[in-house]
Amino acid sequence: MNSARFSIALLFVLLAGCASDPAPHEQLRLSEVALVQARAVGAGEEQAELALAQGKYEQARAALAAGRHKEARLLAEQAELDAQLAEAQLLIQKSNKQVAALEQQVGALRQQLEAL
Amino acid sequence: MSGRHAFPFALLALALLGGCVTTSPEARRVLDEAQAELLAIRTEPAVRLSAAKDLERAEESLERAERFSSYLGSEEDVLHYAYLSRRYSQIAREHGAQRQAAERVAQLEKERERLQLALSEARLITAEQQGEWLEEQLLGQATTETERGLVMTLGDVLFDTGRAELRASATRTVLQVAKFLRLNQRRVVRIEGYTDSQGDAALNLELSRGRAQSVRDMLVDLGVDGKRIQVAGYGEAYPVAENASNQGRARNRRVEIVFSDEEGTLGAER
Repeated sequence: MNSARFSIALLFVLLAGCASDPAPHEQLRLSEVALVQARAVGAGEEQAELALAQGKYEQARAALAAGRHKEARLLAEQAELDAQLAEAQLLIQKSNKQVAALEQQVGALRQQLEAL
Repeated sequence: MSGRHAFPFALLALALLGGCVTTSPEARRVLDEAQAELLAIRTEPAVRLSAAKDLERAEESLERAERFSSYLGSEEDVLHYAYLSRRYSQIAREHGAQRQAAERVAQLEKERERLQLALSEARLITAEQQGEWLEEQLLGQATTETERGLVMTLGDVLFDTGRAELRASATRTVLQVAKFLRLNQRRVVRIEGYTDSQGDAALNLELSRGRAQSVRDMLVDLGVDGKRIQVAGYGEAYPVAENASNQGRARNRRVEIVFSDEEGTLGAER
């Protein structure tokens, strides 16, 4: 008897959990911002993380349209971080190129100095 | 007797159930990976400095994932928050690397600048060693051999009217004098200021001294030992031209640098 009551209560809690999941409009907006920002610094679809982010973002929109709010939120949250990672990876790539170019310049200057 | 043992056993059974039933091997593996990712970077100074927020979120997400793993039927949430935690850790790591790269860029840029300066200096010195420099540069600068020794005249154009501060265009000339003195360590100089006859004589005396002092200050800034530089102000005295015309007055407003001979013997003051 007790366990039956507990089960019913649990069922309600779980159901309530599903039903009360609000539509994650704000999260989708954040994900979109992250995607736009990653593209703004030059990230392209050839970058695995950005393609992943775009795919999940589209799935999230579809889930939202179908009323599957929780699924939409999880996908959108992941898409946001995938896009942020793509952006960070791109920035570090750029910096590494800059470091390499500077190291070359410094090396060339050293050689010129020694040649004098 | 049996009642006393039943309670701990029940607890143990619950704990085991809780551990086994709710955490699938897949979830456990994902949690471990997220934890490993976080452990690898959380003590990195560059990460702590540049990505404290991401680090914090990686920890929060991992705690959430762990919490969900003790609830029944939360596999999806466990995987989700473990995924977020890994991503935050990865982002934090990239931000840390970014900071280190930026520091390296700043350091290399400074080094490049220093090397460029050293290179142009070295080229100049090479030219000087070939004996070209002194004639070309110093003698080209209105230097005359007088009974007072080698005298270089810095014209009126190096100062604004009535001001004692050197104009930017004077820098090059003074730089050359500094280099010459650095290469000829025994030589000393006297810097003499002169004005035209317009205005108050006492003020002119002060102005002439102030201008000579400006040239001295700059030479000292450029690394010439102050002990090697004397300063004198003569005001309106010793004109080199008539004070009647504009042209003549302009020639009289000047700073002269008197160089000693190679042994450091400087002619007496006027």
